[in-house]
Amino acid sequence: MSDDLVLEMRDIRKEFPGVVANDEVSFEVRRGEVHALLGENGAGKSTLMNILYGLYRPDGGEIRLNGKPVSFSSARDAIQAGIGMVHQHFMLIPVMTVAENIVLGIEPHTGLLLDENGAEQRVRELSERFGLAVDPAALISEITVGQEQRVEILKALYRGADLLILDEPTAVLTPQEAGELFQIVRSLQADGKSIIFISHKLNEVLEIADRITVLRRGKTIDTVPAEGATEASLARAMVGREVLLRVDKQPGEAGDTLLSVQDLHVTDDRGIEKVRGMSFEVRAGEIVGIAGVDGNGQTELIDAICGLQKIESGTVTIAGHALSHASARAALDAGIGHIPEDRQRRGLILEFTIAENIVLHDYAKPPIGKRGWLFPARMVQSARSLIREFDVRGGGPYTRAGGLSGGNQQKVVAAREIARDPKVLIAAQPTRGLDVGAIEYLHRRLVAERDEGRAILLISLELEEIMSLSDRILVIYEGKIAGEHTPDVSEEQIGLEMLGGREAAAA
Amino acid sequence: MSDPGPSPAPEEAAETGTLAARLALQQRAGGIVVPIVTVLFAFAMSFIVLAATQRSFHTAALAFKEIWEGTGLNWVFHPTTNLVTSIAAYNLSQTLLETTTLILTGLAVAFAFRCGMFNIGGQGQYFVGLIIANWVGVDFAGLNPLAHVLLAISAGTLGAAAWAGIAGVLKATVGAHEVISTIMLNWIAVWFASWLFGAGGPLQNTLNPQSPVSAQVSPSARLPDFWGVQGFQGLHIGLFIALAALVVFWALLNRTTLGYEVRAVGFNPDAAAYGGINVKKNFILAMAISGAFAGLAGALDMLGGTTNYQFGQLDVPFSQVGFLGIAVALLGRNTAIGTLLGALLFGGLLYGTSHGLGSGSVIQPELAGNLTYIIQGLVVLFVGADILILYVWNSRKKLRRKPPAKSTKAAEAPA
Amino acid sequence: MSTWAARLDNPVSARLRDPATSGFLGIFLGAFAAFLAIPPIEARTVTWPILVGIVAAVLGVWTVTRGRRRLGWGAVAAGAIGIGLGIAATRSGVGNLHAVFDATLIAQTLGLTTPLLFGAIAGIFSERSGVVNIGLEGMMLMGAFWGVYGADKGGTWVVGLLVAGGVGGLLALVYAFFAIHLRSDQIVGGTAVNFLAVGITGYFFVQLYNNSPVPNGVSLLPNVHIPGLGHFLGASIGNLNILTWASFALVIVSYVVIFKTPIGLRIRACGEHPRAADTVGINVYAIRYGCVVLSGILVALGGIYLSEGPEGNGSFLFNMTNGRGFIALAAMIFGNWRPAGAFGAALLFGFSDALSLRLQVYSAEAGTLFRALPYVLTLIAIAGVIGRTVAPAADGKPYAKQ
Repeated sequence: MSDDLVLEMRDIRKEFPGVVANDEVSFEVRRGEVHALLGENGAGKSTLMNILYGLYRPDGGEIRLNGKPVSFSSARDAIQAGIGMVHQHFMLIPVMTVAENIVLGIEPHTGLLLDENGAEQRVRELSERFGLAVDPAALISEITVGQEQRVEILKALYRGADLLILDEPTAVLTPQEAGELFQIVRSLQADGKSIIFISHKLNEVLEIADRITVLRRGKTIDTVPAEGATEASLARAMVGREVLLRVDKQPGEAGDTLLSVQDLHVTDDRGIEKVRGMSFEVRAGEIVGIAGVDGNGQTELIDAICGLQKIESGTVTIAGHALSHASARAALDAGIGHIPEDRQRRGLILEFTIAENIVLHDYAKPPIGKRGWLFPARMVQSARSLIREFDVRGGGPYTRAGGLSGGNQQKVVAAREIARDPKVLIAAQPTRGLDVGAIEYLHRRLVAERDEGRAILLISLELEEIMSLSDRILVIYEGKIAGEHTPDVSEEQIGLEMLGGREAAAA
Repeated sequence: MSDPGPSPAPEEAAETGTLAARLALQQRAGGIVVPIVTVLFAFAMSFIVLAATQRSFHTAALAFKEIWEGTGLNWVFHPTTNLVTSIAAYNLSQTLLETTTLILTGLAVAFAFRCGMFNIGGQGQYFVGLIIANWVGVDFAGLNPLAHVLLAISAGTLGAAAWAGIAGVLKATVGAHEVISTIMLNWIAVWFASWLFGAGGPLQNTLNPQSPVSAQVSPSARLPDFWGVQGFQGLHIGLFIALAALVVFWALLNRTTLGYEVRAVGFNPDAAAYGGINVKKNFILAMAISGAFAGLAGALDMLGGTTNYQFGQLDVPFSQVGFLGIAVALLGRNTAIGTLLGALLFGGLLYGTSHGLGSGSVIQPELAGNLTYIIQGLVVLFVGADILILYVWNSRKKLRRKPPAKSTKAAEAPA
Repeated sequence: MSTWAARLDNPVSARLRDPATSGFLGIFLGAFAAFLAIPPIEARTVTWPILVGIVAAVLGVWTVTRGRRRLGWGAVAAGAIGIGLGIAATRSGVGNLHAVFDATLIAQTLGLTTPLLFGAIAGIFSERSGVVNIGLEGMMLMGAFWGVYGADKGGTWVVGLLVAGGVGGLLALVYAFFAIHLRSDQIVGGTAVNFLAVGITGYFFVQLYNNSPVPNGVSLLPNVHIPGLGHFLGASIGNLNILTWASFALVIVSYVVIFKTPIGLRIRACGEHPRAADTVGINVYAIRYGCVVLSGILVALGGIYLSEGPEGNGSFLFNMTNGRGFIALAAMIFGNWRPAGAFGAALLFGFSDALSLRLQVYSAEAGTLFRALPYVLTLIAIAGVIGRTVAPAADGKPYAKQ
């Protein structure tokens, strides 16, 4: 392989307030190679690619394309320079045809009229040349997700892209579709295109890439040839880290089963089955952690347990109450506490005061509400004591929740959920985006609540958090439980399972 | 209601928030300054229009002086309760009559806003309340006056609640946008009213079959006047009912669990559902309550003699109080006290422009009536502009102090 | 993979078994039941409307059992209403019927359709680009007033047309600035436009014309006289207004522009997924400005028809649109944001308008009540009885550039 470099990114730095997303990251792509960018959620992959695609401006560093320094101020500039990006969330218009989506903006026309046949013809030619089988006349709403992705690739090719960024392209695909995608990538490669393949799935990276660059916490860890790399070595590079936070805890004493999930199936709003037959139990006095990569059914699992999403089949039992067709209200009354994964969209009403947010579940129950009346003074009173107990800083009961820092917002949510004395506490990514102090506080609090005899289900994308808190660890992969472990399991083992590499690891 | 928190990032709600969240943002951002600036600006614009078309600043100034006197608000300088000797007192009583109606139609819009919905159908709900009050007020003659009044008011209010509830049900069940459905319900009510009050219509005055006007409400259903001379269209006790409605509005929102639910749904339906609140139920209820306020306005106008205890087919297209409620609520930032002030302003404008220039010596009276619409339009146009308000607010802040440090929110944004 | 070719290959029998077919057939028969009793068929017994209405209802129930519940119940309702209207028609005098239903009904329907059609097409342009235009009513009113003013001062209806379009476009430009750049809530902004238009036209009507109908002798929009069409055709389409013919042309032109040209593709992209349009280099703001201004121009032409057309006779009246802008909005929704659909809906609403004027021969009040019909139908349509209407996905959502 030649050393003809298409892209050089040198010492790229990008800071967001409070976070260094890219810390002197360097990255290069040779002509005609498939270069995988590997890293955990939040490792800085997307930031780096958004800089390349002109969506973010770097704070420092240099980008060279075909040897020449470039500076993009918009995606339009990047497109004109021959860069194409297939976003994880497709930019397609469902009510239009494949051909219309592809030619949009650079339409072939005869006179004043749109040349639909010509458009379809051009698309057909492109799709045959690169082996991207799609029907140009089909509506986007009628084709599969895998085909939508091909349309996105064709869109980039139609605009003359030589360097193609595929952002987690397999995240939305079935294994079969992923296989087809790999063939497409190879045929693009054969045609001289260079491809940046972003992923956190080890097996597919090893399968498709020529070289692999691993990012961790905004830094380049290493660039290695795929040949010779193993899943184990990559997993270590990806997740391997010194443990920053240790949680002091005694081994738990598990009691009665408080949460029982049996053969649960849940489909998301688009009708795709996201939870595909999960069964597990959480007992009083234990923390069960669910490890997994984002989008493997965690959200749907939680929502189904909490009565926020319809259950297709299977049962959820909370402290003896069967809740298979229950409402959110019934789940709350049965004894569920739920720290939701998105505290700003769902966990809090930002326009409400802290006091108003704290009574979000129990505003209608004494002492806050009685026969339809609301007693704000009592609301404020209870808020005041919880603010003290949970050490919420930055405001009092009358402070608007939106004016608090992330850590204090999360403390308000935790205070609300814990103070209502739930039997089962579900904590979904409880420490996402928080500073170290707040993380430590929440971790200690979760252990304390376990010791109080609550059953705690912890869902997190942070493997470290799962490892340090859980009494039992379940690994979720594609809506199923891929493994169950005690906390003394190695990070590599869990990492492999959550990345879909179990077969390789077992071998 | 609550003390303001630390300065929020103004952008946070501007793009993605619900209507209620955006309006709350405006309230925080602009406080009382923006409504006042908006009103002053609207007055200035209409002054310019007037001065330009009359080719005289003097005339325009005189006209505004007459409008001011027409509102009767100058009464505060010469307070007297004698309506016969004081024109100002009489004008004030008439302004307060308009205010009574506008408080309620304003509350109708404001309540729906607080649940994140735009009730553009206040006019139709007003007609439904008015129609039912007329029907009950005419047909149940001979009842005990208190019972009759109560029956007519509650029937009108509940009828309008049900009417508005249709839009709520459509939103909750099939997701139909409440703006479209309330517009349609408006015009159905308009033509229904035209039919009912028109010649040969069911509610038309049978004593005078040729005139397209409803029968007069029976004396037993009439609201007593507390200020004014019989036959002079006095100020009826509906004013107190409207003021009570302001208290009810405030208490309902802030002192009941229903109000808590409504506000939660208005700000963030996702979080409300997560909190165990039935979002659909709240859409329906909030719309019905909203309609009840507008219906009450119609019932009071009918029973209070604002329309001489009857309503004509030709009055239907000229009634704008339901639409004016939109301006009142937006100007009043959907709060009880703001609605009161907004209603007073537009009440004064309505009466001041239509009667203050009655002499015709300064400008044509009809000209001034249209100024009300122009001012109303400008007010609504400017209070609705997020960016403009944020801009005003931000530059105000810059004048005061250095821009604050970026909020912690932004730190969590990058993926 | 389903392709359009495969869909065309469906055997006809399968399409007949489709519950949608039976549902629409039921609705059609329900409407037909009412028409049986009126000329030219003029069945004089109540039997036929009842029979056909029952068939409609049966089809509806069958549709419901096949899963298309809303469509089915719609057919049932159509059957019931058809029976009711049919009975009413057979009970009334033949003379009255002839007064209501004759060739001039067609001409009148087309005349009343014209402003609605301009408004509906105007709305389609604006909303297809992603900007809700509640202000149609106000912009129409502006066209009605300033059109007369232009024709009066300019001496010819051509100037009136230009002035109307210009003023409508100007008001739309103001609205567009608030809706697009200032990111106002579009409903609030549109409502403001309606208030402003009432105020401005009312003010200048008093100022310029002293609140009285505009002087005689104003140049009116001419009718297009087509000779030699025979009695029926001549009375129905032989003497239509120039704007009526223009509105027909507008349907075709707007269909071609929106669905058959590159610019139309871009307009629709902005209304469906502005971010996607932006990432391929389309200037979303420019497209939206253009569409909203065009919308203002078109709806103002509908407005000038009201004052300068055959019915208006050169007279402006205070707030003379009287909800027609909203009916146009309804026609747009009813027609599913498509020119042909809007044409059908506008015709239906124009017809019900014409009918309501003619029903005065029975009773004035029934005619008045009939004018609520377009709104009732639209309410039913948005309730989902006649298939769900689908607005452009980004309709009404302000777009913030990155």
